[in-house]
Formats: sequence, structure tokens, C-alpha cells
Amino acid sequence: MRRFVPYFAALVAVAVTTLLIQLAVGRTPVANLSMLYLVAVLVVAVAYGRTAAIAASILAFLTFDWFFVPPTHQLVVADPEEVFSLALFLITAVVTGTLAARERARANEARRGEFEATLLYEAAFRIATEPDLDRALSAVAEHFRAALDLDALGIEVDPESLARPVIAARDDTSREALRSTGTELRLMEPHGTSRSVRIVGPRAITGDRARRVRVVPISVSGNRVGRLQVLPRSDVPDLGPSDERMLAIAGAQLGLAIERARLRKGAVDAEVLRRADELKTELLHAVSHELRTPLASILASAGSLRQRDVAWTERERDEFASAIQDEALRLDRVVGNLLDLSRIENGNLVPHKAWHDVGALVEDVAGKMRPITAGHTVRLDVPEDLPPVELDYVEIQQVLSNLVENAAKFSPRGTEIGIRVAQDDGSMRFEVSDHGPGIPAAEADRIFAPFVRLQRAGQATRGVGLGLAIAKRFVEAHAGTIWVDRRATDGARVVFTLPVQPSGG
Amino acid sequence: MAASAPRPEPTGARLLVVDDEPAMVRTLRTNLRGHGFQVETAETASEAKASYDRRPPDLVVLDINLPDGDGFEIVRHIRERSGTPIIVLSARGGERDKVSALDLGADDYMTKPFGIDELLARIRVALRHLARPATGAERRIRTGELVVDLERREVTVAGRQVHLTPTEYDLLKVFLTNPNKVLTDRMLLQQVWGPDYGDESHYLHVYVARLRRKIETDPQAPKHLLTEPGVGYRLRSEDL
Repeated sequence: MRRFVPYFAALVAVAVTTLLIQLAVGRTPVANLSMLYLVAVLVVAVAYGRTAAIAASILAFLTFDWFFVPPTHQLVVADPEEVFSLALFLITAVVTGTLAARERARANEARRGEFEATLLYEAAFRIATEPDLDRALSAVAEHFRAALDLDALGIEVDPESLARPVIAARDDTSREALRSTGTELRLMEPHGTSRSVRIVGPRAITGDRARRVRVVPISVSGNRVGRLQVLPRSDVPDLGPSDERMLAIAGAQLGLAIERARLRKGAVDAEVLRRADELKTELLHAVSHELRTPLASILASAGSLRQRDVAWTERERDEFASAIQDEALRLDRVVGNLLDLSRIENGNLVPHKAWHDVGALVEDVAGKMRPITAGHTVRLDVPEDLPPVELDYVEIQQVLSNLVENAAKFSPRGTEIGIRVAQDDGSMRFEVSDHGPGIPAAEADRIFAPFVRLQRAGQATRGVGLGLAIAKRFVEAHAGTIWVDRRATDGARVVFTLPVQPSGG
Repeated sequence: MAASAPRPEPTGARLLVVDDEPAMVRTLRTNLRGHGFQVETAETASEAKASYDRRPPDLVVLDINLPDGDGFEIVRHIRERSGTPIIVLSARGGERDKVSALDLGADDYMTKPFGIDELLARIRVALRHLARPATGAERRIRTGELVVDLERREVTVAGRQVHLTPTEYDLLKVFLTNPNKVLTDRMLLQQVWGPDYGDESHYLHVYVARLRRKIETDPQAPKHLLTEPGVGYRLRSEDL
């Protein structure tokens, strides 16, 4: 029915004009009155386009001839001058009408173009700014659905990129309708890899009516990577040509987005691998240095003991032996830290917790670290009345040892190392402080990463930089926190807390 | 046995030991004192330079891998002031560090971990060389069965005269005036070919090979011209 509207409009316009001219006849010369028809043609052209304009022109030509050109009420024209004028009218009407209609089409096209450009730009913007493919596609689907006034729009991509299809719908009924168009099948491929394939039926069931679902391919450089499923409004079941075009462009744009997401994921994977490789090289380098340094001292001392050209005194012999012992213990600590780290990296970190007296633990650590802190004064500040804390004794002992070892390593001999324990509300607070050069605020977070050592001009740095990394993991496995106290003005102060639960009685 | 008697204060050559590892410093101090040397120690570059400036030692044992490249700074500091022999200690795989240290003027190097006897031997060679510098003023130089008459530019191996080209002769002369000292490719190239050379190691390798064919009894297992892998060459001599 719709397509007869323009012709009907042309008919009405010409009829109204004829009536007006009829009324005016006798008051003005008829030849000028024909101009009124041109107005009618223009109006029809602007409102209904070229076909309607041409129809109106011909109709006006015939009507004018029939009613107003003598002899009236027949199509014959007596005066040859009238023939010329009528022909001129027809040409003018058709040309004017066509031009007006073209202007209108252009204006429409421009408006449509602007709409499409905005729509595509917004879609592209969303795709580009949202790194998560699932979320990006959901946003784009809803965007197109709303703009094209569809009931539902689904995006389905190969399952490696997108786990399940994305559907944007006006309401739940439409969503269900689109979902019901496909049945999931599991196909066994020849090599045994199973792939989920969705077979899309041509019709969706909405209520009692079956409706056509349009399928638009999503492709990248000729390869189909997915599809759009389009459920138009129930009262406008057909898509216009511009809607079709829009959806095709949307398909291409989505293809690019999916491709980009895939590449980005690939790039991230490659970067992760590269970093892991780099870390491994760094580790080997650091570890070989860390293992070889004590070995060099051990070999030099052992070689000295075996020399027969010098009669070593008791004291000298003892010095070599204790160097061997200290450095062997150091090797053991390095190996222990490495094992801890590999255990942590493998995720096998479950603290074996039991209730322990914190004071005893701190004293134990201070005693074991004596060879390392021999050049320093160690001051313990542990209140008598601390409650027992549930912790993994070995791990927390390791945390404290690593902190004390760092303090001894990085502060000048003869200065004081403080170990302080205090109860905060809900947590037990441990502090290890020294009077060394301190930790710059900018480095305060970085030093907890593995293999990070502070480089300071004119100061010897030793160690792989595993100590703090391990301490952090252990503390965090206890649901505690560890940090560098930035308020420490003289030297470094590292603090960690462990949660204290009431011991149930 | 007088094992428990306190050792008398050593009176031998004065050595400065620089290493950032306290255990290594302690061991070397005890051992070298036991061998009669007077030992000063330093754990940082500033301590080392201060000690050197206070009273220059006869020889320096230096761990080149101090943090921040300070080891090289020490070599530079000493070479600006004197020719005190420097024996560099470096980690295995640190060939670039060794070459840099030698180019800066260090005399010898040892790779950590090292045998203490080997270090003592190197220290003694360097000190002996210091006591009896090869000035090039002697008329004849003899090492093993190799004899070089500097006046006549004549070379004999076990009494048999050997003909050397001028370049081969110049190269041999550089080795003979620096016996038992590691010479980097760059040093040899600059002394024999001139200051514009330095990266043309292949020239050098060709000439060393020719020289070995002429002066070594078994060029495959040289006794005089030893290769220091990745670093350069050394003329070994018991007599010089």
C-alpha cells in the first residue's frame, strides 16, 4: 500500500490546484494561472520525490489541457501557440520537479550519511577503547541495535575469541527469540578436537509467530570469523538497503576488532614469554654470582689450610675454618631462598600454622643471625605480655632473618640493628630497623620484587635481591602486609604485620 | 710445633687487597700475612684510593667487579700515579671486564674462584719483575733455549739461528720486554703496528701463529707464547 502514497499525493495536489484555478478563472489570465501547477509539482517533489513529481507534472499537464485550454473538456488543442505553451509547461514541470526531488534525496542522503558515520564512529571508538573483547562487543551490539531500532542483535564469534555469543535485545522476549534461533551442536573433528558450532535457523519464534532472522557475516580479509544475527522489529520485518549496508559495515568493523583482540592477546602472550625468558637469564646470572662468591672464599680458605709451606697458627687455622663454615652457611641460605622462591612461584605456598610465642621466635632469629650481625649491636624490643600468634614458624623466621640480614648488609659496622615487636589492634607488628643509608622513597615498593637490589654509588651491594621478595610472599601468605616505613629518618625500617585472631579462649 | 705461637709481624712486600667480600678479604689477609707479606685491605673504592694515597703499596690485588664500576676507577687512579703492579680478580665470564682492566694498565688477572697457590705464584712473579725490570738495555735476552741478541737482531732457538721478519721480531721484542705479563690484543697491536691499530686482532693472530712456528718446539703446545683465551697473550718465562 505504501508505494501508492506518492501517486495519491500527486493526484490530491493537482486536484486542489485545479479547484483553486477554477475559482480564479476570469479574474486573471489563464496562462499565468498554470504557474500554480508548478507550485503543486514542487511541493510533491520535495515531499515524495522524483516519481511523484513526474506523475504530478503529467497529471497537471493533462488536467490543465482538459479544463482550461480551449476547446475545453477535450485533449485537442486548437491554437498552435497554446500547444507550444503547454509543451513548455510540461518540460518546466518535469525539470523543476526532478531537480527539487534530487535536492531532497541529497539532503536525505546527507542526513543518513551523517547518522551512519556517527554510528560507525561511536562503534569504532568503543571497540578501540575497551580492551576486553566481550565488553566491547556487548556495547557495540547494543549501540547498533538501538540505532537501527532492531528488536535484537547477536554477535557470534569463534569460541576461542569469545566464549559465548553476545546478544543485545530490546526485552527478554526478543532475547529469547534470538537465542532460540540456534541450536548448539558439538561436532567431533577428525583430529579429535571438539568444536562448538551453532546452527542458526532462519526463523525465530516470538510468541506465536515465526520471524525471519537475518544473518550478516563478520569477516576479516575474506575469512569468516563470526556472524551477526539480526531480529528486526516485528512491525517492520524488512531491513532497508541502508540498514543492510550499515550491518555489512558493522560486520567488517567487528571483524577487525576481533582480529585486533586476537593479535593483542598474541602480543601479550609473547611479551609474557619474553619477560619470563629475561627473568630466567637474570636469575641465572644473579644466582651464579651469588653461589660463586661464597665458593671463592671457601676455596681460598680451604686452599690456605692445605698449604704446607706455612705453619699456620691455631688462630689462623681457626680463621680459615670459620670462613669456610660461614660461607657454607651463606650458600645454604642462598639455596634455601631459591627453593622457597621456586616453591612460591609454583603456587605451593600453604603456611603450616601453629600457635607460637613471638618473643621466643625473635630471640631464636637473633641467635641464629649472630655470625652475620657480629659487627653490629642488635637491640631487641619485645614486650613480655604478647599473646601467642598463629603462624608458620619456619616461614616467619625466614622473613625476620632476611630482614636482619639486609640490615646487617646495608648498614655500617658498629651501628645498631633494632628488632621491635608490638601489638596493634588486630595485628602483631614487627619492625627491623638499621642506621644505614636508608631506602629512597621512590624505591620503597620496587625493592619487594625479585632480583631488585638498590644500586648506590660508593657502596658495595651484595645478594641476589631475593630476600625481600620472599619475605613479602611469606607475609602475604599469612594474610599480613609488609612495607618500608617512609617515616624512618635515620636508616631503613621495614615493617610487617600479621593478623591476630583471638585464640578461641 | 710452634703452631700456637703468635706470628711475628711480616716484613715482606706491602700488598693492598681490595674486595667487597669481607670473607675473601679476611682469608687473603691471613694467608698473605702468613706468607710474609705486609697486607693492607679495603672493601670500597674510596677506602682503596685513600689507602693507596696514604702509602703506595708494592702490589695491588683488586676485585674488578666492585659495584658501579669502581674497580676500573681504582686502576685508573693508580695508573695516573705509578706503575705499581695490579693483579685483577674477576668473575668467570667477565672477559670484557678483564680486557678493560688490562687495557687500563692492570698487569695480570685471575678468575674467581681461584687457587690460592696460583695467586701467590702470580704475586711473586709480579714482584720479581718489579725488582728486576726488563729495560731492554741488555744486549742478550735468554729464556729457556730461546736467545735474542738485541744488538744484532739475531734470534736463536737451541743454538739454531731463526730468521724473523721485522714485524715478527718487533712482536717478539714486546713479549720479551713484558715477560709473564698478560698483554691484550689491543696493547700488542698498538705497540707493534702503531697507535692507529687496536681492533685488527686477526693480524695479530696470524703473526703470533708464525712466531710460534719459528720459536716453539711444538707450535700446537706452545711453551713460550701462551694464549689467554678471550684476552690476549702472555710470554711465560722462568728466567726473566
